[in-house]
Amino acid sequence: MADRTLLRAAQLTLVAALGATLLVPVIWPLDQSAVDLAHVGLSPSPGHPGGTDDLGRDVLHRSIYGLRVSVLVGIVAALAASLLGGIVGGLAGLLGGWTDRVLMRLIDTLAALPHLLLGIFIVAMLRPSLGAVILSIGLTHWLSTARIVRSELLSLRTRPFIDAAIAGGASRRRVLTRHLLPHVLPKIALATTLMIPHAVWHETSLSFLGLGLPPHLASLGNMINDGQRSLLTGSWWASIVPGLLIIVVTLAIAALATRWRDRLDPRARAELDL
Amino acid sequence: MIKLVRRRLAVAVPVLFATSIGMFLLGAASPMDPAMQYAGATAFTTDPANLAQIRANWGVDDPLPVQYARWLGNLFQGDLGWSTSRHEPVGAVIAARAGWTLLLIGVTLAVVLAGSLLLGTIAAYRRGGLFDRGIRAAAYAVESMPVFWLALAAIAVFALALGWFPAGGLTDVTATSTTFGDVAHHLVLPVAVLTVSQAPWFLLFVRDSVADSLRDDHVLAARARGLRGRTVLFGHALRTALLPFLTLVGTHLPELVGGSVLVETVFSLPGLGAVSVQAALGSDFPLLAAITLITTAVVLLANLCTDLAYTAADPRVRIDG
Amino acid sequence: MTLLHTEGLSVRFRLRDAVVQAVTDLHLRVRAGELLAVVGESGCGKSVLAHALLGLLPANAEVSGHATVDGTDLLHSGEKVLARQIRGRKIGLIPQSPATALTAVRTGRTLLAETLRAHDRDPKTADRVAADAGFDPADLDRYPFQLSGGMAQRLVTALALATDPPLLIADEPTTGLDRPLVDHTLDLLRRRCDNGGAVLLITHDLAAAERVADTVAVMYASRIVEHRPATGVFTEPAHPYTAALLKALPDREFRPIPGHPPMLTALPPGCAFAPRCPRADTTCATPPTGPVACHHPLHTEVAV
Repeated sequence: MADRTLLRAAQLTLVAALGATLLVPVIWPLDQSAVDLAHVGLSPSPGHPGGTDDLGRDVLHRSIYGLRVSVLVGIVAALAASLLGGIVGGLAGLLGGWTDRVLMRLIDTLAALPHLLLGIFIVAMLRPSLGAVILSIGLTHWLSTARIVRSELLSLRTRPFIDAAIAGGASRRRVLTRHLLPHVLPKIALATTLMIPHAVWHETSLSFLGLGLPPHLASLGNMINDGQRSLLTGSWWASIVPGLLIIVVTLAIAALATRWRDRLDPRARAELDL
Repeated sequence: MIKLVRRRLAVAVPVLFATSIGMFLLGAASPMDPAMQYAGATAFTTDPANLAQIRANWGVDDPLPVQYARWLGNLFQGDLGWSTSRHEPVGAVIAARAGWTLLLIGVTLAVVLAGSLLLGTIAAYRRGGLFDRGIRAAAYAVESMPVFWLALAAIAVFALALGWFPAGGLTDVTATSTTFGDVAHHLVLPVAVLTVSQAPWFLLFVRDSVADSLRDDHVLAARARGLRGRTVLFGHALRTALLPFLTLVGTHLPELVGGSVLVETVFSLPGLGAVSVQAALGSDFPLLAAITLITTAVVLLANLCTDLAYTAADPRVRIDG
Repeated sequence: MTLLHTEGLSVRFRLRDAVVQAVTDLHLRVRAGELLAVVGESGCGKSVLAHALLGLLPANAEVSGHATVDGTDLLHSGEKVLARQIRGRKIGLIPQSPATALTAVRTGRTLLAETLRAHDRDPKTADRVAADAGFDPADLDRYPFQLSGGMAQRLVTALALATDPPLLIADEPTTGLDRPLVDHTLDLLRRRCDNGGAVLLITHDLAAAERVADTVAVMYASRIVEHRPATGVFTEPAHPYTAALLKALPDREFRPIPGHPPMLTALPPGCAFAPRCPRADTTCATPPTGPVACHHPLHTEVAV
């Protein structure tokens, strides 16, 4: 019962977040460079539910724009990472043998690399920009998808219906597109969804450090970074409000994805509580 | 055990080399001109001939493989290069800061391990109870909070609103020397933030694996022998449940390093993380590359150590090899 | 002197969408010097009985009825009382599947010494305790994964006997052992009873029960269906299920019982054996009671 309430809350949150990011630009477009020095550092009030920052900009308004940018970057980067992971995992799972062993050992080692530091290096050398951020996420976040695809393919290879298809004279391409892909794709989709929060985190971390999206752009990381200045003057809301948005959306995505995983893998749920 | 070390090194060394090549190529592709950076603000007034001289001295215009070989050779000889953003040798920059980062990560790791073992075990022991549910809900909530946000929130509450701890730095502004008490007071918030942000993962892992192992045959058998609860918990349930924990500590180190970069930046600590962000902002290839490579090597080494510890702790692996 | 006494003992497990009736309305009595064998097919609730008596059931188990050992209440005592006064002291357990019952990262010696110390006995006597159970003291420094099945069995036996409990529960102690080892284990149990101890032998091995038991309780689908002195049970089984079990033995008729035992989540309201029973009729729709729980026993005049 508590589970269902939480799930419903997560769904509502995501719908609300999606609605806000889609509707707000239409109803109330944001001028990214506008400042309002007459209303600097106002605390949250009915007129400005998230308060205003040290340049008089409405924090909630900018946060919704920031969420839009962050989630978009997160989705694109997660897709890029999944594509890379899918290719490597697919190679390991389909070819098996030596290729598999070498690739898996490689993935295990790569997983041990400090990925935020590598991500910082990548954006620093390419100069902070949208493309650099996405590349930085894609290159450091593909390992989990590769592992999932590989293990799924390996378990599929031993299943009787694949043998039956091959024995029935199906071509390599046909086995791959008709039998393997339909089973692997849902897992990739799930892995990609679960990766979106991580990608958002990586992006906001980079932006927060001043190494992400261009500073004038309202992104959650940039806003929290800007908010640091206001923090010392007591305007805590300038960095706390955009952060709350990250947290709530992350929790909602995680809750839904966990439920999705339970559906895909009923074994995990059937476990008896003995 | 020697076999394990050899097998790990067989992958780790090529990966390190590949990382260094990748980093070097990225650095070479970077639009920054090291000579211009070296000259800094004076670049526009400097005679172009002088700039050309600097370029020639550094071999900036040599073919890439030659440059790479020279860079790597210098690294091996202990010459880490010249930091273009801080205008001092990279070696000196790192030497002055590595200790603080190690201190931050070391203390955090110790607190995280002790705390998550204790709280996770209690939660598992009283699973389903109020403490278990409360601490799990808290862990899930904290897991979704970005480290830097948590750090800012901690500053807002504990430094600015309550005034219990300083908001940043390592020593008091007025202090003339570095005293233990002063540093410890300044490190409370950073360590606490890093601990709270890293603990959920460890805590949930300990809780679940101990909860599982409490229903294992060998734990029930130990209870049936009339052993005290504490003996059963520590001598039987934890001992087997925590073997995989050892290797997982190693695999979680990258997260800890990432967290320390952010925490050091927010709290303005003079560590490697904060300085690497400054290097990145100044496109300082020699410094950033050296820090990234050294950190990567250290993390890989730490991973190897936890694997060796696992081998030593599990008789099934130790004896059968 | 009655050592173990249960009255109306029932155990239920609450699952997400079902209730498992593992043990139903059990009346047992074991006296000092007596060896009671609880026999039945696997999955009938025998092992749950052992765990219920020791208070080792998982959190979703619901226990009702009464059970005492040596006058001490077993079902309503707290974990502390069970750990300090019952387990190991009054009831010893030889657990099922010795290979998994031993803590993998500890040697036999540390396990044995730890048990002796917990019961205020001299840990230096470990060698003698091991030898008594037929475990070569020279092997005490081995880890469980270095022991054969028979050695592991003898080690868990030594651990159970280390504290010399008046009641010993042996849960399937002969499974997977070869002939000489089975004999050795059974002789050891018999000897304990002859020296005044009591043993509750839980087994699906009827031949083993026949060799050593004083009393036999036959369990089917969570209930005891026949509870009588051993000689009577094996020569003149009264319950059709007991008779069918005996006929299934390889050295008797080797004829398996038709059908399958019912799911413990969906037990019929009447006699659970009725669907497989040749003597069943409409009266079997009501639950039978008594030491021979049957409306149509094969023998009506039986010694109880």
